[in-house]
Amino acid sequence: MNKHLPVALVIDDEVQIRRFLRAGFELENFAVQEAATAADGLRVATLKSIDLVILDLGLPDMDGAEVVERLRSWSTVPIIVLSVRSSEDEKVRLLELGADDYVIKPFGMAELLARARAALRRQARGSAGEPIVRAGSLSIDLAQRSVSLGGEAIQLSPKEYRLLQVLAQHAGNVVTHQHLLKEVWGVTHLEDAHYLRILIRKIRKKIEKDPTQPQILLTELGVGYRLAQ
Amino acid sequence: MVSLRRPSMAGIGRAIERMSASKLHRYLRHGRNFRAISNLVRPIFLALALVAAMTLCLIGVKQFVDLYHVSSAYLIPVLIAAIRLGMVPALVVAIGGVGASAFFFYPPIYDFRVHNPEQLLDLPLFVIVAAVTGQLAARARAHAVLAQDREREMRALYAFSKGLAVVTDPAQIYSAIQDHLGAITGCRVVYFEAGASSSASGHEGEAVPEIVLRTVSKFAQENADRTGMVVDDERTGTSWLIRAVSHKNAAFGTVAIDVGRASQHGHSSMQHRIDAVLADAAATLERLDVARAIGEVKLRTEAETLRAALMGSVSHGLRTPLASIMGSASILVQAPAVAHEPRLAGLAGIIRDEAERLNSDIQRLLDASRISSAGVRPHMGWVDAADIVNAALASQRRRLASHQVVVRLPDDLPLVNADQVMIEQALAQILDNAVKYSPAGSAIRVEAQSRGGEIVMTISDGGAGLSPEEREQMFERFYRGPRTRETTSGSGLGLWIAHAFVVACGGRIEAASKGVDCGTVFRIVLPEAPMVTAGARGGPDE
Repeated sequence: MNKHLPVALVIDDEVQIRRFLRAGFELENFAVQEAATAADGLRVATLKSIDLVILDLGLPDMDGAEVVERLRSWSTVPIIVLSVRSSEDEKVRLLELGADDYVIKPFGMAELLARARAALRRQARGSAGEPIVRAGSLSIDLAQRSVSLGGEAIQLSPKEYRLLQVLAQHAGNVVTHQHLLKEVWGVTHLEDAHYLRILIRKIRKKIEKDPTQPQILLTELGVGYRLAQ
Repeated sequence: MVSLRRPSMAGIGRAIERMSASKLHRYLRHGRNFRAISNLVRPIFLALALVAAMTLCLIGVKQFVDLYHVSSAYLIPVLIAAIRLGMVPALVVAIGGVGASAFFFYPPIYDFRVHNPEQLLDLPLFVIVAAVTGQLAARARAHAVLAQDREREMRALYAFSKGLAVVTDPAQIYSAIQDHLGAITGCRVVYFEAGASSSASGHEGEAVPEIVLRTVSKFAQENADRTGMVVDDERTGTSWLIRAVSHKNAAFGTVAIDVGRASQHGHSSMQHRIDAVLADAAATLERLDVARAIGEVKLRTEAETLRAALMGSVSHGLRTPLASIMGSASILVQAPAVAHEPRLAGLAGIIRDEAERLNSDIQRLLDASRISSAGVRPHMGWVDAADIVNAALASQRRRLASHQVVVRLPDDLPLVNADQVMIEQALAQILDNAVKYSPAGSAIRVEAQSRGGEIVMTISDGGAGLSPEEREQMFERFYRGPRTRETTSGSGLGLWIAHAFVVACGGRIEAASKGVDCGTVFRIVLPEAPMVTAGARGGPDE
């Protein structure tokens, strides 16, 4: 196994899905480990050096939430969940347990790769300290605490900056409403979802070309917000 | 003396019997109340026979022993008559006994006159004994008869209830009610089903009087007074009792009972028995109704389980391979080896797009089965209308690529209270329709605005438009416009699902068109949040 390649662990009970994921990741210069059950997946994750986990929620032997919880008990490895439509609450729960992002089945490889790369970058940023996050024409300098749009600095209120900062730390990945509310307003405002909507609207007016058709600060219906890559 | 006396006594007895028999016969041959008359006359004859028998005994005894106070011996037949036959026969025996003793035993013999009036003192004594004992015995007998009647009725009712307990079909109950009421009342009973009151069930042989039919149908319609009523049929001179089977449930029907010429008193005693039977029958009918409802629920639960299993296997069995197909195709489309060869890239694109279409078809089927079986349970929440519109546009991005999409959303759209997934689905469906039924390159306009406390989302296209018939029926399940049915693929489910989802969220969906080929305008209207944005504006940012 090439040491320089990031290793993706695919935990899915469907052999065909494992096959196409293996092909997709290998074409993008990942090494791939496969596991058909949650137990096997957890075992592989402890034994081998894993950079990324792709976790299917419909595993026969264990609830997806439990797998996420167990992995998170000892590892910060990025986890992308493969989910089905119409279960926003489940997605939010998994994200709050520590999953980094999700894609909805059926999905295109490009979408999964984008989520996976974003999660890997967040991981890398944590260790290497890369201070500048870019999303479209927006650039957020986490070290300087400054934001510029197309090279021009823009003025943000402290709360607006704080919100962008949290999103930038997870750039490319979804951040739940709850997480944003907690980080920006504190735990006493977890129910005040309209604060968040109004603040998002204000930021969009400053950074989006057409605030009603956002290209940078994207909405994930029922889940949260995402800074585009 | 004896020889003379004996034949005479026997003669009297025979004469009386002969007379009574012949007279009765003659009378009864013409009379209708044979049983009533014979019931009345027979005890009198028996009483007289008792007197005769006692007299014969006493005459016999007198041959050997001298009897002074013979009349007191008649106390025995008086008591027997009082106990067994009743007061009137006892009085007959009392008078007959005193008369017989005066005639046969007290001087002058063979003469009703008596020399010593003391000897007739027995008469008032006998009368009193006869009256008192007769009364007591009559009362006891009446009680016994009543008890027997009750027992018989109870047994019949029990048999009726037991019969009802195994009945599984209302028609059996109706005929059981008819038969049982007929049996206990001895009258003709006709059952009328609810809603079919003009035609009686059963008893085809005899016609029910017109007035009874009319009353029954009137009675069935007027729910206010359900205690029952009496109708007199003047033509035959009989009365009919009309009763609802149940006071509570008119659907259980009505019975008409031909009570003949029975007196008012007869009616009221019969009413009680009829009440008991009908109460029992109504309870059974209710039980059956409950049983049927339970049966239906069971059936529904089974259908629900089957549907859930089917949905599970459809969503897993079809979508899992689809996920592999779509994933693989998405890799092929972008793989350098394929991307450099336009024909192969085209094929990979077809696989991906058709798999996507198949996926949305499966989604539609699942939605449709969810709507029609379980109903729609929206997961309501306050959402930004613009977010929903954008999500729908994003989900249809590839399909919309062939058209010119113009989106106009105001900056400050209020929130709406809705299930965002459902509204997004509904919008996506309408967008899909707009793409399908308007020429490539034409414009599709998507707008949203707040208007009078409502949010109106409008999708307009320049396509096929709607005929009046199409506009009428387009939201019906499986409806497909006749103009495009042959040329455009579709399931006829999409707009029906969109309609169901929007209505479930408390909104409405409308379609307008200036006519065929003049484009279509769809509107989804949802109630908006009351001032949430304005009220909270000051708070969050400081």
